[in-house]
Amino acid sequence: MILFVVCAGLSFVLGVLRIPNIAHGTLYMIGAFATFSITKIFAGSTGFWIALIVAPLLVAVVSLVAERVLFCHLYQREHLMLLLFTFALSLILGDLVKIVWGAEYKSVSAPTLLKGSISILGASFPRYNLFLILVGPLVAIAIWLFTNKTKIGKISRAAAVDREMVGVLGINVSWVFAIAFVIGCYLAGVGGALVAPTVSITLGMDHTLIIEAFLIVIIGGLGNMWGALVGSLIFGITHSFGVLFWPQFAIVFPYIAVVVVLLLRPKGLLKSVW
Amino acid sequence: MLQVESLMKSFDDFMAVNGANLTVDKGEIVAVIGPNGAGKTTLFNLITGALKRDRGRIVFKGEDIGELPPYEICKKGISRSYQIVNIFPRLTVFGNVQVAVLSHQRRSSNLFRPAQGIAVNETKSILESMGLSDKEKSIAGSLSHGDQKILEIAIALGNEPELLILDEPTAGMSPEETQATMELVKRLANQRGLTILFCEHDMDIVFSIAQSIMVMRHGQTIIQGSLEEVRNNKEVQEAYLGGE
Amino acid sequence: MFKNVVRSKRFGLVAAIFVVLFILPLFVPRFFVYIFALIYVTSLLAMSLNMVVGHGGLFQFHHGVFYGVGAYAVALMLTKSSLPMWFGFIVGPVVAAIIGLIIGWFCVRLTRLYFGMLQISLGSLIWAIVFRWYSFTGGDDGIHGIPMPSLISSLNSSYYFILIILVICLILMYMILKSPFGNTLQAIRDNSQRCEAIGINIKRYQLGGIVVATFFAGVAGVLFVVLERSVFPDLLFWVLSLEIFIMCLLGGWFTFAGPLLGAAITVALRTFVGRYTEYWTLILGIILILVIFFLPEGVMGFFQDLFKPGTKKVAERGKG
Repeated sequence: MILFVVCAGLSFVLGVLRIPNIAHGTLYMIGAFATFSITKIFAGSTGFWIALIVAPLLVAVVSLVAERVLFCHLYQREHLMLLLFTFALSLILGDLVKIVWGAEYKSVSAPTLLKGSISILGASFPRYNLFLILVGPLVAIAIWLFTNKTKIGKISRAAAVDREMVGVLGINVSWVFAIAFVIGCYLAGVGGALVAPTVSITLGMDHTLIIEAFLIVIIGGLGNMWGALVGSLIFGITHSFGVLFWPQFAIVFPYIAVVVVLLLRPKGLLKSVW
Repeated sequence: MLQVESLMKSFDDFMAVNGANLTVDKGEIVAVIGPNGAGKTTLFNLITGALKRDRGRIVFKGEDIGELPPYEICKKGISRSYQIVNIFPRLTVFGNVQVAVLSHQRRSSNLFRPAQGIAVNETKSILESMGLSDKEKSIAGSLSHGDQKILEIAIALGNEPELLILDEPTAGMSPEETQATMELVKRLANQRGLTILFCEHDMDIVFSIAQSIMVMRHGQTIIQGSLEEVRNNKEVQEAYLGGE
Repeated sequence: MFKNVVRSKRFGLVAAIFVVLFILPLFVPRFFVYIFALIYVTSLLAMSLNMVVGHGGLFQFHHGVFYGVGAYAVALMLTKSSLPMWFGFIVGPVVAAIIGLIIGWFCVRLTRLYFGMLQISLGSLIWAIVFRWYSFTGGDDGIHGIPMPSLISSLNSSYYFILIILVICLILMYMILKSPFGNTLQAIRDNSQRCEAIGINIKRYQLGGIVVATFFAGVAGVLFVVLERSVFPDLLFWVLSLEIFIMCLLGGWFTFAGPLLGAAITVALRTFVGRYTEYWTLILGIILILVIFFLPEGVMGFFQDLFKPGTKKVAERGKG
């Protein structure tokens, strides 16, 4: 589910701005680290809830700065350049994280409300996971509402399909892109905040995440949010499957699934905006 | 030599070609004319394999080539030039034609001998007959538009085709260049025994060198025949010449 | 052709450089010898990528896989089998090329972006397998202390070995690029539609280009093992692949020696900046951004433009 939130953001940015944002993983990492700091400041459970709101905002601000200062000059370039640029950005941000937070592992504990497990039907489920299972669809619905019901959302969708026309209609395309980008990155921050209590927060997490996120987005269909959902589900399920049957190679299973999907449907399972 | 029967091709809902018929005999110069959007370029794309037909037959030298990929069709002896200049901008003029010649000689996969020394004579002779010898070493992208269009044709000749298809060969050229180019084309047809199929908007050219003319409208063949037959055909006059 | 090459002014310069490089170990501290050897290995890798990307126009996003496969193949041969050591050296590139053929065959059917995506997924799959297969590949520890034939086991001798192989490979690559095959590959990059129309089976050539490039990547992998005596899964991780891409960009895609320069700059930076600060990736990122903004043709492209003005504009006009 966390993967979904992150991937939804990535897919969104990909769809509207046609940017394969490699820095997305690093922004996620910033979200996680920020959550750590915030929970240190506001000790206790409330810290987490505050972090859940503030950390993504922080990420959003960072992304806004990056966009306004650097990105907007590059929209005309080929995708390859954009990709390399976001990679450069991820390198820079990654090192900034190292500077601000240092290189050791960090950890965040879940708020008391979500600690421990509940037993349902005789099996015990960690409460936090249930929380995530709830949050996932909420985010999906929120995004759907946004893109389909709000004016900005509809404009973003239009811009994804035909950038020039939207500009001709007198809408400031540049700001639309900025907003869309920030929203996508906000989601990365949310993902980072959500993941904070579940894993140890380290410096390499952006790299491992981003490759999985990209693969998910690809198999789901580039730019397609539902595709991101389907992709994350496939990824998650095959991973659990792997853990059950062959724990040593658990991470191999999702990759095999990705390869199979791409061989059969190279453009992704659902319709892609590209 | 080439026979097109009831060819059909649609893009989603738009029928680009809706019943095209064409006959080209060996050694002939045939022109296809029609208003913009009549489907001429699509027809050429279908013949050369760049597009797959929906229905109909394309027979070349007795063989149905409708299902073959473009590079196979080229090997059978059909070569084409494009309406919008489609050269290799980063290579030299010599290099542009050489690629085609090497492909024809099946030497393109030669890994270790330097390309400079191979197929030089054939390439130079094509350049000479097209009048491009003095520009041999120039980078193709830096040529004038008219010269690039001539290079277009030169590349197509590199494959030593039997049937040469030219898509608006003089589009964008000045009247002198147009005249010169068409003289060139006529000469080539005679010298090398080429069969030529082309399409043009310039009626003077069409009427001066084509032996058989096929008229298209809305993706259909209205008529194919000699100059007189076409000129006198009522439908053609309506559709194309606007009743002038 | 060799007569022309020898006569050109550039050859004199290049030959002089190589003479210097040959006598380098005689008057330079060990550390520098090591760094130069590392540069050679990396530049071979970058050059091999450029064969398919710069000259072939393919989106080879996970080239590192072939490098890693070559390295692992030789490492495994040398540590696990009792076959003669030099045999392992040949197995490395061959295995890399075979994997290149297999992966390439699947990817070539797709275009551009999707080609790259499928390759990333296949490459990541291989990475994941190697990463976890402790018993065979050493998992995330990798394999260390790989034995070398005594002929090349000292630092200096491995330096010479690497340099010689590099020179041989460079010569081969140059010949291939100037051959009809190389020209065809570049033509495909520039205008694949036209190539089809002149009778070229595009996919076959692209696949051929991939096999050649992955072979050289495998050679680079073998050289890496010669230098470092160990392998680890990071060689197969996508970050390395992207770094190689960056080296090509930095140096200049479309030129022959561009990637070499890019690799040299990157390795040099990493080493020397790394001495002063931990944050060398930050610097790399900044430099990359500067290059993207100001030098899209890379450093070599910049110099080429200085000496041969008009080539760049010509290429741009041709695209229009």
